[in-house]
Formats: sequence, C-alpha cells, structure tokens
Amino acid sequence: MTTIITAVVLLTLLALVFGVILGFAAQKFKVEGNPIVDQLEATLPQTQCGQCGYPGCRPYAEAISNGEKINRCPPGGTATMEKLAELMGVDPEPVAAVEEEPVKKVAVIREEECIGCTKCIQACPVDAILGSGKMMHTVIAADCTGCDLCVEPCPVDCIDMVPVQTDLRNWDWKLKGLETIPVKFVEEEKSC
Amino acid sequence: MLTNLEQLDNGVVWRIPGGIHPPEQKHLSNQTAIGTLPLDEYYYVPVPQVGEQASMAVAVGDHVLKGQPLTHGLNQHHLPVHAPTSGVIKAIEPRPSNHASGLPVNTCVIQADGKDSWVDLQSASLETLSNDDIVARVQAAGVAGMGGAAFPSHIKLSPASDIELVIINAVECEPYITSDDRLMREHADKIISGMEIIHQVLTPQRIIVGIEDNKPEAADALRKALSASKLPAGVARVTVVPTKYPSGGEKQLIQLLTGKEVPSGAIPAQLGILVHNVGTCAAISDAVLQGKPLIERVVTVTGGNVAQPGNYWMPIGTRVDHVLKCCGFNPEADQKVIIGGPMMGYTLPLIQVPVIKGTNCVLVPSSAEMSVDAKELSCIRCTECAQACPASLLPQQLYWHSKSGDYDKASDYNLRDCIECGCCSYVCPSDIPLVEYFRVAKSAIRNANEEKLKSERAKQKFEAKQARLEEEKRQREAKAKEAAERRQSNMSGGDKDAIAAALARVQAKKAVSAATPEAGADRKDKVADAVARAKARKAAQAAQSDSPAPEQNQANDAQKDKVAAAIARAKARKAAMQSDNEAEVDTNQTSAASSQKDKVAAAIARAKAKKEALKQALQAEAPTDSDNKSADEAADTLEPKADDRQARIAAAVARAKAKKAAAKDAGVNDPKGQIPEQNSVDSIAQSDPGELSAEEAKKARVAAAVAKAKAKKAAQQAGDSKSTVEDTQAESAEPKPEVELTAEEAKKARVAAAIAKAKAKKAAQQAGEGQGSDAHMQKQPADVNSAEPDSNSEPADVKPEAEPSAEEAKKARVAAAIAKAKAKKAARQDGEAQRPDNAAPLNDERSEAMSPDTDQSEQAPAQSAEEIKKARIAAAIAKAKAKKAAKDAEDKE
Repeated sequence: MTTIITAVVLLTLLALVFGVILGFAAQKFKVEGNPIVDQLEATLPQTQCGQCGYPGCRPYAEAISNGEKINRCPPGGTATMEKLAELMGVDPEPVAAVEEEPVKKVAVIREEECIGCTKCIQACPVDAILGSGKMMHTVIAADCTGCDLCVEPCPVDCIDMVPVQTDLRNWDWKLKGLETIPVKFVEEEKSC
Repeated sequence: MLTNLEQLDNGVVWRIPGGIHPPEQKHLSNQTAIGTLPLDEYYYVPVPQVGEQASMAVAVGDHVLKGQPLTHGLNQHHLPVHAPTSGVIKAIEPRPSNHASGLPVNTCVIQADGKDSWVDLQSASLETLSNDDIVARVQAAGVAGMGGAAFPSHIKLSPASDIELVIINAVECEPYITSDDRLMREHADKIISGMEIIHQVLTPQRIIVGIEDNKPEAADALRKALSASKLPAGVARVTVVPTKYPSGGEKQLIQLLTGKEVPSGAIPAQLGILVHNVGTCAAISDAVLQGKPLIERVVTVTGGNVAQPGNYWMPIGTRVDHVLKCCGFNPEADQKVIIGGPMMGYTLPLIQVPVIKGTNCVLVPSSAEMSVDAKELSCIRCTECAQACPASLLPQQLYWHSKSGDYDKASDYNLRDCIECGCCSYVCPSDIPLVEYFRVAKSAIRNANEEKLKSERAKQKFEAKQARLEEEKRQREAKAKEAAERRQSNMSGGDKDAIAAALARVQAKKAVSAATPEAGADRKDKVADAVARAKARKAAQAAQSDSPAPEQNQANDAQKDKVAAAIARAKARKAAMQSDNEAEVDTNQTSAASSQKDKVAAAIARAKAKKEALKQALQAEAPTDSDNKSADEAADTLEPKADDRQARIAAAVARAKAKKAAAKDAGVNDPKGQIPEQNSVDSIAQSDPGELSAEEAKKARVAAAVAKAKAKKAAQQAGDSKSTVEDTQAESAEPKPEVELTAEEAKKARVAAAIAKAKAKKAAQQAGEGQGSDAHMQKQPADVNSAEPDSNSEPADVKPEAEPSAEEAKKARVAAAIAKAKAKKAARQDGEAQRPDNAAPLNDERSEAMSPDTDQSEQAPAQSAEEIKKARIAAAIAKAKAKKAAKDAEDKE
C-alpha cells in the first residue's frame, strides 16, 4: 500500500516539476508570431505589387499561412510558387494568369510628358519615384520593383514598364548557352 | 624547421592539388620580338565608369593627344582612361564590348589623326616621390591588373593591412599565351623597376617572382635585371615553379610559393600577401617614372589561322578585327575568335570590339586545333574532375546541382571557390562542359543574391513607407483633435457672446412685462428710445461675435469680449426696462452666426420693431401701467437674494397655472391675446439659467416676479371665468407665493395691464412676430446648455441656477411649444385682417437714434477696443436722445 502511495506521490511530484519546467520554457522560449510567415515572406519577391489581392507581400504570406492559395503571385512566377508549395507542403498549382517566366520590368517616366501630379509617388509602395508637385518626376530604377502600380494612376499615361536592361553586371551566362571552347591541343602530335 | 622566409629564400616550391598539363603552343608566338601594328583609323576606348565614378573630360569633336585623360573622377575607385593616340573624338556612345556577351558599353570613339603625338609627360625620379605621390601617379596613369582581371593597381598599392610578401606573377600558364614571356625577355629592367616602386610603397619583406620552368629565357633576363637593381640584397628573388596548369592562378601561386591556402571568400592581403602581374609592374614603372599612362599593352596574337602569330604592342582600344587584319587573319567557316587562352578565355560574338587593359591574347585557332564538338555524355562519376580541380572542389557534385538548377545545394559545395580554370572540363571523359555549367550557376546565384538584396531593400522601403504613412495618419488625427479642441475652446469663447446675447434677450423679455405698463403718454418716445439702445447693444454684440475665433482664445481678447459682453448686458438691461420689442430682435440677431447675417437680421428686426412699436403706441392703455409696475417692483424688492431659485420655481408653477388657466379660458378670454403672453413668460423662464452674474440673478428675479405676476393675473382671469381657482392657488402656494400675493390691491390693475399686454402681443403677433418667438424658443435650450460649460465669465452662479431649472424648463418648453403652435395659428388667422395697420410712418427720433447704430453695425467687423468704445459712445448718444424724448413726452403730459 505504501509503495502505491509513494509511487503516486512521486509521480505527482514529477508531473508538477515537469509541468513547471515546461510552463517556464513555454514562456521563456515563446516564438513570437508564426515563423512560417517569415519564411513565406522571404520567398516572395517583395514587389509589394498587390497582384495577389493583398496589400503587400507580408499580408499575402500571412494569408498563405492561413490557407490562401499559393499561386497568386505573378511576379514570383512558377519558381516562387514551387517554393511556396514546398514550404506549405501543398501540391504546386499553375500560377494564375501569368506567363511562364515573368520578365523583370522597371517603370520609366517619359519626363517631358510628366505634369507633376504626384499620383504615382503616392501609388509607389517602395518610394522609388522622385518628384514633387508640378515638378517632373522620375523613377529610381534601382529601387523600382516593377509592380505596375504607378501606371494606372498616371493621368497622362507617361509611365512605361520597360524590361530591365541587361548589362555586363547582370548578364547571365545562360544567355550565351552552353558553349565550350573546343580547342583541343593536338596531343597526338606530341609524345609526352 | 625552416621559417617561412627561409623557405622562400631557398626557393622551396610547394605542391598544389589538381592541375593538368595541357600541351603547349607557346612556340607559335614567342619566337619573335614584340612588334607594333600600323595605326588604325578608329579606336574604341570603353569608358564604363562614366556615369558612376567618373564623368567625361572630353566632348564629341574635341581633339585629343595621345595619353590625354578622357575621364575624370574624384572617386577612389576611379580608373582613368586615356586616349591611345592623337585624334578627334567622333562619338561617345554604347558600342559592343570586349566581353563574352558582347553587350554594348559606353565607348569613346577616337578618329586617329595619324600623328600619334603625345601629351607632355611628367617624368619623375623615385627618390623625390612620396608613397602617396606614387599611388596618385599610378592612379592617374590608369594602371590596372594586366593578368586579365584588370583590377585597379592603385588600390592594390594602398592596402589596409601590412604586406609582408609581394609575389610577381610571371607564370603565364595558359598554353598559348606568351605576352608576359616576351615582355620579360625584352623589358626585364622595366619590370624590376616596377618591383622597386612596389617595394618602396609597400616595404614587404620579400618580393618573389614566380615563373614556370618553360620560360628559361625570361627567368634569366629577370635574374640579370634583378642583380643590377637597386633593391636591397636578399629581398627579391626569382623562383622557378614547375609547369602545371593553373599555377598562374593567384591563389594557386600563393599556395605554390608559400604553402598557405587563401581561405574561401578571403583575399590574399589578409595573409599579408599581394600578387602583381609582370605586365602591371612594367606599367607601374612607366606610370611613376615617366608619367606615361597605360595606353598600350603586349597582346599575343596566335592560333593556326593567323599568318604572323606573335606579340604586339597594342594601344588600348585597338579593334580586334584590325589586329587580325594586320596579322594576316585567314578566317575559316565558323571561325572562333577567342580572347584569352583556350582554357579560361571566351569567344567573341563579334570582332569589332576593342582590346582592353585585361586582354592578353587573341586566339584564332584553326579547325585542326579544334576538336569536333564532342557530344555531352552522362556523368559516370569517375571523379577525374575532382582530382584535377586545383581548388579541391567536387565538380561532379557541383555539376549535378547546377544542371538541375539547385543552386543552393551547389553553393553548399562551395561553388564560389571555383576559379573556372577549366581543368575539370579538360579531363572529363564524358566531354561535359563543366565550367560552362558552373558559370551559369554562378551568375544565377549572383543574380539571385542581388534579387534578394533588392527585395530586402524593397521590403525595407515598403515598411518605411508604411510606417511613414502611419505616422502621418497619426499626426493628422492629432492635428484634427487639436483643431477640434481649439474649435471647442473657440466655441466656448463664442458661447460668451451667446450668453451675453441670451442675457440681453432675457432682459428684453423682462421688458415685455415692464414696458407695457410703462406705455403711457410718452410710450412712443420710449419705444423709439429703446429701439435705439437695442441697436447700440446689437452693434456691440455684432462686434463681439465678429472677433475671429483664435483671437478669442487670447487673454486680452477674452477680456475684450467680456467688456463688450458687459456693455451689451448693461445696455440690454436698460433697454429691457422700457420695451418688449427687443426680445424678438435679439433672437434674430443671436441666432445668426456671422456679422453679415447679423446685419441683415438686424435690419429685418428693426423694421419689425418699428412696426410693432407703432402699433403698441396706438393700443396702449395708460391707467393701470404705473400701478402694475410698482407692484412688480415691490415683489422684486421683497424677495431676498437667496431666493432666486424659489422665485424661479414659483415662476414655473405660475406658468403652469397660467397655462392651465389659459387652456380653460380659451372660450372666455381672447385666446389670441393670451397665448403670446404665455409664450413670452415661458421664454423668460427658460432663459433664466442663462443669467449668470449677481445682477443677472437679480434680473432673473425680476423676470420671475413679472412672470408670477402675469400668472397671477392669468389665474385671476381664470377665476373670473369660474374656473378651478382653488387648484391653482394651492399649487402656487407651495414654493413661495405669499410675497407676490401681498400686492393684492394691484391685482385689478394688473388684470387690465395684462389685457393691454395681451393686445400688444396680439399686435405683435399680427406684425408677423410669431415666427420670431418660435426661433427664440428653439434658441433657448442651446443657450442654457452652452452656459454650463463656460466657467470663464461667471463661475459661481452657473450651476445652482441651471440645475433646478432643467425640469421646469422642459415643462415650460412643452407648454411653450403648445402655446406657440396656437399663437402661430392665431397669427395666421389674424395676420391677413390686420396687416394694413402695420404700415406706419417712421418716427423721426427713432430714425435718428438708428443712424449711429447702422454705422456701428457696419464697422463692427473691425472688432477692436476703439470700435467697442465707439459703440458705447453711439449707445450713449442714443440713450441721451431717448431720455430727452422721454422728458419731452413727460413735459407734454
């Protein structure tokens, strides 16, 4: 009988101790927010374009973590969608209404036509447009995410989305294709 | 155990992993001395830094001399570009670049004038130059690494850390290239001179020239030049290393000579080692000692398809097609032109591109030298590539991941440490172009990293914008709140005006009861007088209400307001004693917000008042007036001051009784006369709480007394008409009716007075004043409410007065609303019949009294102390006139 009581008491004590430890650990090492949201957000292209129907990439990441579809990001394209699918453990779905490989674009203001209405400045989610009232505006190409949001508000339609120019810095060997220099040295001629 | 330096001095050569021994073709080009090419017509000098670190120093159409700088910039990373020959700038525009992509890059096109005339060069001796001078001269000369990477040499010459060992790279391991070989053979002294300069700047412990054993002539030439150099003995030596590709790689050469491996991602300077190419040494010598900019270099032109392979001094910007033409280029079908060696070079997409600072070889192999394009086979995992790799990587793994696009995994296998030497491709039995895969993967990873950085920046900027918008919103709200508060305080400032107006109105109402008995023989005069005063008051009022809101917040403005209000009150009080007409006038005035409105309303009110006064004068009944008034006054004086409240309660009760009586008397008495009176009594009761000062309280008592008196009268009338007298008297006894009831002898007289008043009211009603009282009634509650929060002017009296009246006021209002409705109806009925009476000529005195007032209301918006003063003066004049008129009237009587 005493052994049973001892066992019960000991187990109860143990349960209490571990409960305290676990409770302390839960408080001490509490994870703020949902970590999957950060991972999802890091995967998204951060164009902040709102084409997914959410006001920015973070809200979409949060929506995905709550069960939104993963194929809503046209700027990210299929690659992003696949990463999202992998993160969320869902099947990849074709990205809604977008070409296979999204072309990186940048907004360009035809400066002589700009009337300085500042509407595009307000629309730009990343402050990539410079200008002020009744002054010519221009796009800081390095900061432009190509989200298209400035095109719609322009009253004089002076904003063009042009593909990003390839220069020596962002040139990709892929463009050249796999091409070796097939200079083979006439080894046969020489006896080693 | 030997120290590092001893090992270096002994010429110890370490092993490097991997490497291959491709068959050499150096004999093709190293047999002849360095030649020169005939001058080309055009030179394409790329100016890639323009727009970033530099700007153009010349413009299109300028004539430039050989060695003249084309760009200038203050940036540390600026690498000047010089004109390779004298001539005219024809264009500065994007042209195809000497790059694997052939993408256009900003290029300065110089049309040679054929004279090839130099600018004045500033030569100097090494002894007179400081280190900074040397570095500056190196930068000004635009010296860049000539081994291929074209890194600015002046940056290498000013390192952040101490340099213990300088290695001069004379290995030149590429199988075809001999430019350094020939340079060493012919210009060893220049190279040694460059080493002296480097030694002076960096003061390393040792300078080691590493050279492959396949260039014995060059090594001999260097040793000879070195022995004749001014370098301290034992500092510099030439170490011959075995021929092995790629010993000429920077990291490989360091490992070969020192046994140290440069860590992944680090640069040799972190080990205290610096590597310079022999060509760079010669260029540094030229730049520092002769002031000669780097405008030409030795380039090997070789391959089976040139008739005269060899090394040539080529001005930077010489077009490759010109070079080939001069060397007897014999192109085949599908001819490849390779810049650099066969191992690490790249084919040009088009040959109209310039020779640049890093170009060391132009290779045009014949088809005999080229193997047929071998088909790429599957990787058999033979690990030949891993054995050949000089960086100890695992090319087969890298290939696997690169091919599948799994660049993260490729990165995990240290893809970035790949030097793209091509050893793996060379040894691959499956002919897999491994290096090409790695280049693709590397550029993809680089782009992905840039994307990541960019998206990170975009995210930051987006968040910054969101935060900014949030902040702006918050500020806007705070501002709106502040504005609302200011408005509130302005309102309370305006409330003062409203209170003053309410007081004035109350007083005017009192006058309703007071004036009727007064209306004796001089009634006409007095009314006119009162009108004048009311106008003066109104002017003061307008002046007050005109003052802009923010100013009222200020102390002196508030002071002004109070003064004005006091003036208005005083005037109103006086006016109230004599006339009942002003109540409606007041109502109209105060209900209007702006001075403009005030003026318009005042004009209307004046017209109405005039009409009414005329009518009243006609209808007034003399005999009971004085009695009635004295009774009222007696009642007033009898009441102690502390009894305000009771008085009001009494008044309210009286009103209630009067109402009842009125309701009952509807058949007996003239309802049209009775109801307007009820109206005015109610109004007075409601505006009671608005009275704030002691004087006002007194007035309120007066008004209450008047009301009570009226109520009594009404009760009397009701009694006369056999109604329930007991009821009403019992009710009126509750608060404190005794005091008022003492004036029993005046009762009858008052009845008469009431009748007279009723008639006067009726007249007023007929004159269209029914609406005025309506407006008045609506205004009252607002005044009562607004009086409460305003603690500025009369703090003590507000609450005790306002609280008890609330319920009564409500009752009274209900009653008043009923009465009003009736009055309106009556007025409507009677209006048509009696309107013709209203048209009456203006009284002279009145029009006189009015004139200063009119002026006043026009000047009112100015709103200053002077204006108030003027208003007071005008009011005083008006009063004086009124008094005179009254006296005249008395005299006449």
